[in-house]
Amino acid sequence: MPEAIEIQLKKGALELCVLALLSQHDSYAYEIASQLSDSIGMGEGTIYPLMRRLQTDRLVETYLVESPSGPSRKYYRLTDAGKTSFTSQKSAWNSFAGAVETILGGAK
Amino acid sequence: MTRQAFMARLMEGLRGLPPTVQAEIIADYNNHFNEAAAAGRNEADVATGLGDPGRLARELRAEVGLKRWEEQRSASSGASAIFAVLGLGAIDILVLLPILMGIGSAIFGIGVAVIALFFVGGVIFAAGPFTGLPGGPAAAILAGIGLMTGAASLGAVLSIVTVGLVNGLVWYGRLHFQLLKPALEPQSVGGLQ
Repeated sequence: MPEAIEIQLKKGALELCVLALLSQHDSYAYEIASQLSDSIGMGEGTIYPLMRRLQTDRLVETYLVESPSGPSRKYYRLTDAGKTSFTSQKSAWNSFAGAVETILGGAK
Repeated sequence: MTRQAFMARLMEGLRGLPPTVQAEIIADYNNHFNEAAAAGRNEADVATGLGDPGRLARELRAEVGLKRWEEQRSASSGASAIFAVLGLGAIDILVLLPILMGIGSAIFGIGVAVIALFFVGGVIFAAGPFTGLPGGPAAAILAGIGLMTGAASLGAVLSIVTVGLVNGLVWYGRLHFQLLKPALEPQSVGGLQ
């Protein structure tokens, strides 16, 4: 049961985390996947369906960059819609997390 | 699982998608393996970290299906979006199927009625003036035109409602996407080793 809660939490936060990473700097899928899998313990394969979804929703767009080693890398960057979405999701998250924090603090 | 086995199962799961989309997806995962190899990671660990390729293929298929539906509102893209969402297992098909069939057959029935109404309007418009209906030929022609335009606008409303229903289903399916679960499970197993 706690596992189910953890999965639901991560599921909700994953898109926000990807948008947050991309708002700092453009990145490629492997970098995003390894950063997120290190810090929030997410399955790396999950990033690819998510990146396609963000592309379908036109929140991100791609461009190719020559890589020093091997073939060129596909970089993702936020579109204007992506930046707007990130700002509103971030404030929604902050107010929600703040409210949960207050309640959890009161329960101690 | 080896890289080869992972890619083979992924390709198996992607069969039937447009070749360009398949090539893009395959390239994404091949790049992932290449980057991981360059970072000195073990191939089997990388495959475990990626999760179940069959499940990933189903999620990718669903994404492609939804994209098609968003770009092109047609009966076939709508049907493929619905099946893609159902394929995720995010919605319990046993619960949904009777409801879907009920709504589907209601829409079909109303659609048939609208078409019939249109034809009745056409017949009255064409044949009415010669059959001595009460009100004379002009009234029959006007009544025929009225029935046909009425049917056309009902048809338009019906298609808007149908598009709205499919959108609602897609929205619901996405909301309940089991996006992380399958990818997390094999990883937590890998972590226990």
